[in-house]
Amino acid sequence: MTSETGFDPKLYDRFPTSGARPRGELEELERIWCAPKGWQYLTVVNNNYVGIYYVGAAFLFFLLAGILALVMRVQLAAPLMGVLPQETYNQFFTMHGTVMMFLFAVPMVEALGIMLLPQMLSARDLPFPRLSAYAFWAYLVGGLAFFSSLFVGLAPNGGWFMYPPLTSTAYSPGINTDFWLLGIGFIEISAIAGAIEIVVGVLRTRAPGMTLDKMPIFAWAMLVFAIMIIIAFPAVILGTLLLEFERAFNWPFFDPTRGGDPLLWQHLFWFFGHPEVYIIFLPAAGLVSMMVAMVARTDLVGYRLVVLALLATGFISFGVWAHHMFTTGMPTLSVGFFSAASMAVSVPAGIQVFAWIATLAVGKVRYNTLALFIIGTLIIFTMGGLTGVMVALVPFDWQAHDSYFIVAHLHYVLIGGMVFPMFAAFYHWAPMVSRRALSERLGKWVFGLMFAGMHIAFLPMHLTGMMGMPRRVYTYLPDRGWDLPNLISTVGAFVLAAGIALFVIDLIRNVRLAPGGGNAGNIYGAGTLEWLPTELYSTRSIPVVKSRQPLWDDPDLSKDVEEGRYFLPGSVTGNRETIVTSPLMAEPQYLQIMPGPSVWPLLSAVFTAGFFLLLTVQAYGAGLVSGVLAILAVLRWMWETDRPVKQPFVDIGAGINVPTYVTGTSTHGWWAMVVLMIVIGMIFLMTVFSYLYLYGRSTRFWIDPPDAVSLALIVGGAALSALLAAGSRRALLKGDGRKRLAIWLLILASIVISAVTFIDYRSWLAAGLDPEASGQGAVIHAFIGLQACLSGIALLMAAFVAARGARNFIPVPRSNVIDLPAIFIIFTAALGAAGPGLVRLFPGTL
Amino acid sequence: MRSWIILLGGLALWAVHFFGLYFTGSIFLSSGTARSIAGLFTLACAAATLLLMAWINRQSEAVLAGWVSPAGRAGAVLALIAIIWQGLPVLF
Ligand code: HEM
Ligand SMILES: [Cu+2]
Repeated sequence: MTSETGFDPKLYDRFPTSGARPRGELEELERIWCAPKGWQYLTVVNNNYVGIYYVGAAFLFFLLAGILALVMRVQLAAPLMGVLPQETYNQFFTMHGTVMMFLFAVPMVEALGIMLLPQMLSARDLPFPRLSAYAFWAYLVGGLAFFSSLFVGLAPNGGWFMYPPLTSTAYSPGINTDFWLLGIGFIEISAIAGAIEIVVGVLRTRAPGMTLDKMPIFAWAMLVFAIMIIIAFPAVILGTLLLEFERAFNWPFFDPTRGGDPLLWQHLFWFFGHPEVYIIFLPAAGLVSMMVAMVARTDLVGYRLVVLALLATGFISFGVWAHHMFTTGMPTLSVGFFSAASMAVSVPAGIQVFAWIATLAVGKVRYNTLALFIIGTLIIFTMGGLTGVMVALVPFDWQAHDSYFIVAHLHYVLIGGMVFPMFAAFYHWAPMVSRRALSERLGKWVFGLMFAGMHIAFLPMHLTGMMGMPRRVYTYLPDRGWDLPNLISTVGAFVLAAGIALFVIDLIRNVRLAPGGGNAGNIYGAGTLEWLPTELYSTRSIPVVKSRQPLWDDPDLSKDVEEGRYFLPGSVTGNRETIVTSPLMAEPQYLQIMPGPSVWPLLSAVFTAGFFLLLTVQAYGAGLVSGVLAILAVLRWMWETDRPVKQPFVDIGAGINVPTYVTGTSTHGWWAMVVLMIVIGMIFLMTVFSYLYLYGRSTRFWIDPPDAVSLALIVGGAALSALLAAGSRRALLKGDGRKRLAIWLLILASIVISAVTFIDYRSWLAAGLDPEASGQGAVIHAFIGLQACLSGIALLMAAFVAARGARNFIPVPRSNVIDLPAIFIIFTAALGAAGPGLVRLFPGTL
Repeated sequence: MRSWIILLGGLALWAVHFFGLYFTGSIFLSSGTARSIAGLFTLACAAATLLLMAWINRQSEAVLAGWVSPAGRAGAVLALIAIIWQGLPVLF
């Protein structure tokens, strides 16, 4: 087999090592990864803690949104009830849907990823612990503030997909909508931060020897999940920004009287919204695949097919967004394409379901609570999938659209595809984080109540929908035949809630969190690495992985790992550290020094949340201050990073030496920067799409672009800036003497690219472009705004590099502190030439 | 890199195909032109997928080829079926 990095796989045979480990090694590990005390619980960054906080917070939002659902069901139990007035009902269903989707489902799977992945991959932690801490705090603070809008009657009320024109200022003058737009926009940023962490974590911090084909399915699922977030979320971030700009500055993106189009929102929203469904489902499916193998006590049947199904779902889910728009009058041919594509989605989902059934069939199943929840998943998800194929049939969808049939369908898919797997996962992984497992006896009741309640609540809704009851109505008249099914649904909702309440009781009775060891351990006898004995530092040593279920295949593994007979049995540099491995073959490449606890991620998160919230309530001055503080906090947090240690090479076990500081394309920092550039690139592409879309609608209000001179200046300036940035990297290579030059070149590059943005803006101003007058004006201002942001970040980076240079915190001849800003500036320059080029040359009067 | 192309090539062609169909339908609406373009594009994508399969068969020294190649081939087959299926609406 070919090696990926030139690493000799024979070296793996040196493990497990023999002989005694030096004294004090274990104590040092414990000291370095020590447990927090008191206030330090707020500054922890390692995944053992952040993961648990994250899961807890997501579960809290599940309960809160569930309570809203119950109140709605009471209101709908009988005709003409007076529990919730119309406006409050609107806020309730909007908040229920929004909180379930954005504050529960996505964060919950991300949280499970942060909690489980390092353990499953046997890394000491994810590569950017502080980033996960930031993602968590941003989510918690932002989410709670967002939810509180309900208590002051200012919660959003336009439905979870917020269609304009209902949500434009004409029909939604209050700040309710702004809460949604800024709140959700902000929470998406936190989701993206988590996704960057997960992509780099899965591809670069797997235990040595864990080649792609030995990766646990959940890791595959999380990889696809994170990439989908990176591609899909920029669309909704852009959408929320544009709608907010329309509301705040009167830029007519979605206003057809001035060349905008409300359907643009639907495209942007669903380009995110459909993948969102799979973003929620895939990780849950990954968990199910792992648990199925465990309860059946055999390897998953069709591992390769399941991986392929995950990948295929990831791709195709981007090609079906418009099936949410069948009733908007798209061209018939397009409707045909989207209908065909939507039916094709069910093939990969079907592959997964059949792989699970086959695994259960060939294995010897133990019918414990967890197995019951998995069987529940299979039944409920399949039923939701079937109604899904029904609504993919366009004529049927014309009838069912916006009726209770859809409410039934979406809950079957979401509850079967995500909630039941989550409960199964709680039962399975509780012993990993708690001293005691959850109760089997109560668990069977929890399952029974939830399963029965689910069907009693949602099965009748198919019928109410077919009988014509529209969704999102706060009440209905008697004598339509809707009374009985609605009453049954309400009863079912309470049965389901009783199951969940019982689960909470079980949690309180049995769960005693033990993030730093002392947990109940592998009581189900699973075979993957998260069941190695762990302490705060994760496992004592990092094993060489030879199969998909290492604990089943090597009975001595736990003992050897615990005795430090594998990689990195202690700390070699006196810091927190983990091994970075190559993406395909997981060959050890270098030792990453990891940051320890810090208060700065917390503070940056609080100030970023403050910035968005203060803007929402229109306290612009205070918002600005909060924004500046957030930036300062981020810079302060970055200040401590990227400090090389004294030992350039270290022995990570059995005489295998790796570097402690590397630069260039193989570093985890570089990878994260590339992922970030993909996110920004997607925002840019979606802006391009908006531009072309509005152009295709109507050019009645469009004006001619500025002259060619401005374009020449812009392209020339962007090229110059990119050259300067590249030159800065070059200069540093020449050694200490050229360090000042390198810094100056970088500063110059950032100034030039900012000037380019300014020239672009001035030239359009001179051409008479008015952002309020046309869709063209609005989108071009969005382009310029994006470019201004990027240039601003480039300036900040340059200033930061200069400050570090002044303190001599830049290693020579290669430094990530110079590399990363340099590629960012080159990227900014590329966009800075492409955007103005497009809007000048197309439609093209040059 | 080559391993990733083997693994994801088929699926990527599938993605190219459905975005192509979307743009064709959006620009040329339901006209005869749209049908011809979409039909030809479907054939082109299907042919490209077949070429990809042939190429995968000739790759042996890619990293982890033993696992990646069969998975990539299965992905290409899936993509081929999906491409033809999604092109069918042009006939109606
Ligand atoms: C705990 C049991 C649940 C009950 C009793 C419930 C009940 C409801 C009700 C009554 C509505 C409003 C229907 C309408 O007026 O149109 C609704 C809408 C919705 N629910 Fe649930 N739900 C539950 C769980 C969930 C879960 C777990 C999710 C997602 C993970 C979810 C996602 C949604 C969404 C997206 C909507 C649409 C909101 C909108 O129309 O804007 N629900 N649900
Ligand atoms: Cu969809």
